[in-house]
Amino acid sequence: MATVTDMTAPTRDEAKAFARRRVIFAIVLVAIVLVLPFIPPFTGQDYQRFLVTGALMAAYAVAFDFTAGYIDIVNFGLAAFIGLGAYTSGLLAVDYGISPWIGMVAGAFVAGVVGLLTGMLTLRLRGMYAAVMAWFVGLALMGLVRNVPEITRGSLGLSTPQLLNTSDNLPYYYVIVALLLITIGVLMMVIRSKVGLAFRAIGQNLAAAKASGINPTRYLVINFTLSCAFAGLLGGFYAHYYGILTPDVMATSHTVEILAVAYIGGRGTLWGPAVIAFPLMVITGLLQAQLASMPGLELVLYGLLLILVMVFRPSGFAGMVTSLSNRLWPAPAEAPTASRPTP
Amino acid sequence: MTTTPAAAPAPTNLRRVPLAKRFLTLTWMIIGLMVAALVVFAFVQPSITVDTLVTGGMWALMAAGLALVFGVMNISNFAHGEFFMIGSLVAYFVFTPIQNAMLDDPSGTTLLKIFGPFAGMIAAVAVGFLVGAVLEVVLFRRLRKVSKDQWVMNTFLLTAGLSVVLVNGDQLIFGTDFRGVSRYWDVPPVRIIGTSVSVDRIAAFVIAIVTILAFSAFLRRSQTGRAMRAVAQDEAGAQMAGISLNRIFIITMGLSSALAALAGAALLWLYPSSPTVGQQPLQLAWFVVILAGLGNVQGAIIGAFIVSMLQTLSVYYIGVGWVDVLPTLFLILILLFKPSGLFGSEVKGVWEQ
Repeated sequence: MATVTDMTAPTRDEAKAFARRRVIFAIVLVAIVLVLPFIPPFTGQDYQRFLVTGALMAAYAVAFDFTAGYIDIVNFGLAAFIGLGAYTSGLLAVDYGISPWIGMVAGAFVAGVVGLLTGMLTLRLRGMYAAVMAWFVGLALMGLVRNVPEITRGSLGLSTPQLLNTSDNLPYYYVIVALLLITIGVLMMVIRSKVGLAFRAIGQNLAAAKASGINPTRYLVINFTLSCAFAGLLGGFYAHYYGILTPDVMATSHTVEILAVAYIGGRGTLWGPAVIAFPLMVITGLLQAQLASMPGLELVLYGLLLILVMVFRPSGFAGMVTSLSNRLWPAPAEAPTASRPTP
Repeated sequence: MTTTPAAAPAPTNLRRVPLAKRFLTLTWMIIGLMVAALVVFAFVQPSITVDTLVTGGMWALMAAGLALVFGVMNISNFAHGEFFMIGSLVAYFVFTPIQNAMLDDPSGTTLLKIFGPFAGMIAAVAVGFLVGAVLEVVLFRRLRKVSKDQWVMNTFLLTAGLSVVLVNGDQLIFGTDFRGVSRYWDVPPVRIIGTSVSVDRIAAFVIAIVTILAFSAFLRRSQTGRAMRAVAQDEAGAQMAGISLNRIFIITMGLSSALAALAGAALLWLYPSSPTVGQQPLQLAWFVVILAGLGNVQGAIIGAFIVSMLQTLSVYYIGVGWVDVLPTLFLILILLFKPSGLFGSEVKGVWEQ
C-alpha cells in the first residue's frame, strides 16, 4: 500500500535534513580540531605534541581504513610504506638538500609505486594471503632499510632537517591537520565516485561485483596504491617533525597500533578512526608521561580496547555515534551514512 | 573446507598419472632439492644440515599448531608467537630452581639431571594448553557469536590485539630482561658427521620428531583427532554426527598453543625468554603456513624444514640481517606460480571468498 512505502522511504525533506546534519557535524568537528590548541590544557607544548601525534595517527588510520574498511584487505605492512615515504623524504633532504615539502611528495610517489608493485603481486591472492604477504613485504622493506646502514644509517637513526624553522608545536599541528583534511577529503571523494562504488561492491560481495563486470584486481590495486601513497606522504611529515628516523617506524607493532585506532574508531567510515585518534593519542601520551615506571601499560590498554571493540562493538566508535544520532533524530529508512553494515 | 589437517584423501584419479609425472611438479622438485642440499651440506658444511634440522623441527611444531587452528577453526592466529613466549617463560621458571638445586648438590641424583629439563617442558605444555583453552572460551567463542561474514580477518585482528596485550603485559610484569639458560643438559657435545653437536640440539630435534609423530598419530587414529578432522572438513556435518563443536574447539586451540609453548620451552637455550621473543617464531610460522598452503598441517611440517634451510643459508652466507629479505623474495616467487602455496589445493573454500 502506498501509505506504507511513504512511511519508510526517505522523503526529499528528510534526506535533505540528514545531509544538512552531516555537514553541520563535519563543520563542528573541524572547528573543534582547529581551536583545540587554544583551549586549556591544550595550550601547553606537551599537550600540543600529543595533538600533533593524534592528528598524525588520525591520518594514518584514515589511510588504513581506506583499504581495510572498503575492500576488506588489511594492509598489514602499512607502517613499512610510512617508513618508505619517511626515508625517501629524509634521504633526499639529507643527501641532496631537497626541501622537505618536495621530499614529502616524492615520498608519497615512491611509497605509491612500491605499493602498486606490491598490490599487483599480492592482490591477486585471496584475502588472508594478501594481508600476510603485505606483512612480509613490510618486513622485507624494514630488513632492507636496516641492512644498508651506509645509506640509511640503520638502527643508529638518520637525523633529518625540520619541516619548519621552529621548535614550537603549534605550526606543525596546523600542517598535519591540513594533511589530515587533504587525506580525508581526497579519499572521501574517491569513495563517493564511481571507483568508490566499485570498492564497496567488491568489499561487500566479491562474486556479485565480478558478475556485474567489475575487474576486482584492478580496483583493489588502485585502492591499495592510493592508501600506500598517502601513507608515504604522512611518513614524510613524520620524518621532518621528529627529526630522527630509525627502522622501527616500519615495525609491525606500529601497524598494529594504527590498526587498533582504525578499528576502535569504526571501520569503513574514515571519519570514525580520524575522530577517535585524538582522544586516544592524548590519553596514551598522558599515560606515558605519568607512568614512566610502567612502560607498556598504555599498549596493554590499547590491545584490551581493541579486543573489547572487536567482541562487543564491531562497528566501533562510529557505529555508536551513528546509532545515537539515529535515536536522537530518527533517520530516514535508508540511512545515507558512509558506514557499511558491520561485519 | 579445502584443506584437512593431515591425511587429505588422495584424488581417485591419482593412480592413472604416471609415477614420473607425479613427482615432476614444482612442489616435489623443491622437496627433492632440499633433501639433496641437506645431504650435500652434511659433507660440505655439516653445521648447516644440523641447524636446518634442529630449528626446522621447532618451526614445524609452531607451524603445525598454526595450521591446525586455521584448518579446524579458521582462526588466523597472530598471537601464536606469544604462546612460544609463554612456553619459554614457564620453562625458565620451572627449570631454574631445578638447575640451582643441581648446582647446590652436584652429586645429586642423575635422574634429576636427565629428567629435570623435561619438567620445564611438560609444565610449558600444560600451561600452553590451558592458556589456549581459556582464550577459546573467553574470546573466540564470544567473537564467533557476533562475527559471521568476516570471521577470518576478524580473528586476525583480535589476535593482533591479544598479541599486543600479552607482549606488553609480559614486559609490565617481568620487565625486558632476557631470561634464559645456558644449556639444559650439562654434558659435553657429541660428534656427529664430523661436527660437534650439543646434546640440547639433539634433544630439540628428537623432541620435535617424536611430538610430530605423536601428533599425526593422534590426528589419524584417535577418536578426538578424527573428530577434529571432521570439523575441519564440514562443521555442520560433524555436528550432525554428534560431535560437540565447543569441545573440539577447546582441544584444538589448547593443542595448538601447547605445541608452540613446547617449541618455546625446548629452544630456551637458544632463544632466552623476553617479551618479544615470540616475534621471529611467529613470522617464520606464518611464512611456513603461507608457503605450504593455509590450514595444511602436513604441508606445514615439510614447509618448516624448507624455510629453516632458507633461513640457515641466508644467515651463513649473507648475514643475519637478511633473514627477512631473501626468504620473502623466495615466497613471492613461489606464490606467483602457485598462489595457494606449495601444498595448497586449488579449490576455493568458504573462508577465501
